[in-house]
Amino acid sequence: MTLIYLDNNATTPIAPEVVRAMEPYLTAHYFNPSSMYEPAQQVATALKEARATVATFVGASHPDELLFTSCATEANSTAILGAIKANPNRRHIITTEVEHPAVLELCRDLARNGYDVTFLPVDRNGRLDVRDFVRALQPTTLLVTIMHANNETGVLFPIEELARLTKETDPRILFHTDATQSVGKLPIDLGGAHKDIDFLSFSGHKMHAPKGIGALYMRRGAPCRPFLLGGHQENGRRGGTENVPYIIGLAEACRLASAHMADEGEVARLRDRLEQRLKAEIPHIVVSGEEAPRLPNTLNFSVHFIEGEGMLYQLSEHGVCASSGSACTSGSLEPSHVLRAMKIPFTAVHGSIRFSLSRYNTEEEVDQVAAIMPEVVANLRHLSPYWDNARNCPRPDAPGYAEIVGTN
Amino acid sequence: MAWEYSEKTKILFMNAVHGKPGTHLGEIENPDGIGEHGSIACGDAMRFTFRVERHPDDPSKDVITEARYLTFGCTSAIAASEALCTIIETGRYTPLEALKVSNEDIVHFLEGLPSQKVHCSVMGAEALEAAVFNWAQKRGVDLKAHGFEVPTHDENEGRIVCHCFTQTEPYIKRKIAELNLRTIPQITDAIKAGGACMACHHQPGGLQDLLDEVWGKNSDGEDRATGTQTDPNQPAPELSPYQFAKQVEKVLDDYVRPMLARDGGDVEIIDIKGQLVYVRLAGACGSCPGAATTLKLVVEKTLKAQVDERVRVIAV
Repeated sequence: MTLIYLDNNATTPIAPEVVRAMEPYLTAHYFNPSSMYEPAQQVATALKEARATVATFVGASHPDELLFTSCATEANSTAILGAIKANPNRRHIITTEVEHPAVLELCRDLARNGYDVTFLPVDRNGRLDVRDFVRALQPTTLLVTIMHANNETGVLFPIEELARLTKETDPRILFHTDATQSVGKLPIDLGGAHKDIDFLSFSGHKMHAPKGIGALYMRRGAPCRPFLLGGHQENGRRGGTENVPYIIGLAEACRLASAHMADEGEVARLRDRLEQRLKAEIPHIVVSGEEAPRLPNTLNFSVHFIEGEGMLYQLSEHGVCASSGSACTSGSLEPSHVLRAMKIPFTAVHGSIRFSLSRYNTEEEVDQVAAIMPEVVANLRHLSPYWDNARNCPRPDAPGYAEIVGTN
Repeated sequence: MAWEYSEKTKILFMNAVHGKPGTHLGEIENPDGIGEHGSIACGDAMRFTFRVERHPDDPSKDVITEARYLTFGCTSAIAASEALCTIIETGRYTPLEALKVSNEDIVHFLEGLPSQKVHCSVMGAEALEAAVFNWAQKRGVDLKAHGFEVPTHDENEGRIVCHCFTQTEPYIKRKIAELNLRTIPQITDAIKAGGACMACHHQPGGLQDLLDEVWGKNSDGEDRATGTQTDPNQPAPELSPYQFAKQVEKVLDDYVRPMLARDGGDVEIIDIKGQLVYVRLAGACGSCPGAATTLKLVVEKTLKAQVDERVRVIAV
């Protein structure tokens, strides 16, 4: 059985070119780039080139605005905690209810420790109301941390506009965005369209580099204290010997993403094809963020009256890899905080499935999944106490019947 | 980071350590001028000596014929020392002329230095200066009469805070106090420190910490970033926030809305914070891309004239 991998928002396959680029730095070129001898200097030069490649990829004006971390979570913590430490006179932070746990949990912890945190709500399509954002800005606001693309639904937030409004209100307020899901899929231009952003985090393993490498863009002059102390590396902003092989890998992944950016149109076509077929063939499903701007690769939908895990299990029997809600939240028995914030009907919130594609997926794969899914859903609905199998629709006494049948 | 040296730097260094002919390692006995700079504690130290061909009548016309150095330091410190001696000897400078040799000349001779190593060239220039002062003392030359200032401070020793411009903690702290510098941009404008890579701004022991040490941690946190700029979030003293908002509404009703209504548009006030007025175009105008920019200008101009000169309009 061949594998159909549609879980690219969780992690991506490593591109063969990336593995090849890394290999010399795992074997012959093992030297510490801080050492003085010639072979180490070659490694230092490669590191410098890699930094320039990654910086160019996100449109940074200076390579030293990019610092490498172990993951996006570390990049998020570095930006958020560093900004707080550098601005001790302000106590207010703005974020959203639908952030990745790497930001959400940190902000909740800051709230427990005396910071004043505004968690902005979203509408049924996962969108922010920019008016809510404007009203949340205060004279004591020190930081805005709002993700670019949602990892569960792919819904995009208008970070260009939010950053502009922030800086027009008060240039001292710092703007951070977790762009882990968008970097590599959408063009980022920190010297142009995204010029009002101070900090931007992303990760290698969401863009065909390995796990264990992240990056943080830190605009020159943006006040931020280091998170990891104890080393001159990264201009003193992040101690620890540079993870050279993985940095080289990330740079190669950026090069590839840049070359393949046009392919994202094809990814969107495949995603749309899957979405259309599923909507046509499975009654009563809710596509999350259907009316919002979304990432080209993400399809998140909820199926009324069945549970997501049962679908994942059957899909896995067919060799199809997908997620139900965020992989990060699956350890808890709570339904996804993102879908709850979007007020997805309670009859559907447990039945969410996320397919996330990459440029390595094909039309045949997508068609295969579209062919399997109706049966996967039907098998579970067949067991559901709320489903009328004869009419293939909810039973009239099912909770929320009027709304579901009325709106679908 | 390993350093990337120019070929010239590497060659000068290798020649010096191998004692090739034409290199300048050494110390002149009974020199006419001797100058030292740096200390072993800060990792770079140089002793610079020179001999002159004495002018029979006018000591200020002595010519330097021989220059030697002893340097404790890295590759670039030694190469910079070589460069200094070569420049001085081949130029056949008088000591007074030699004072005009700057660290930029040394960097140029070396065909560039990594920014973190520019301080090596500064060390050469400083040692040269000290040696010339020493010569002037011995020969009874009044430097002030020749237009040179004799420095009274010596703050070149100490921890380097700004590596790009080689500025030390004692120097920066003195300047912060002397020039009443309150913010990082003010420091950069006054003495360049922190103006290039900006890494030293918020590092532990960086410029912000020096400001805090000189002025106290909470001297005025809000002054930090922008200095004397007035806080736009402070409401106008004459009007309460309620009165201010009422007046903004009234001016929009009287002047702006009638104008927009002609095209089926309207304007919504999203929020007012101090003198910041957040507006959004509604109705037919909302879909016109040009309208947003125009609206901001028109509304802002009207509100400035009718309500308060300090009003700023932000389009949402």
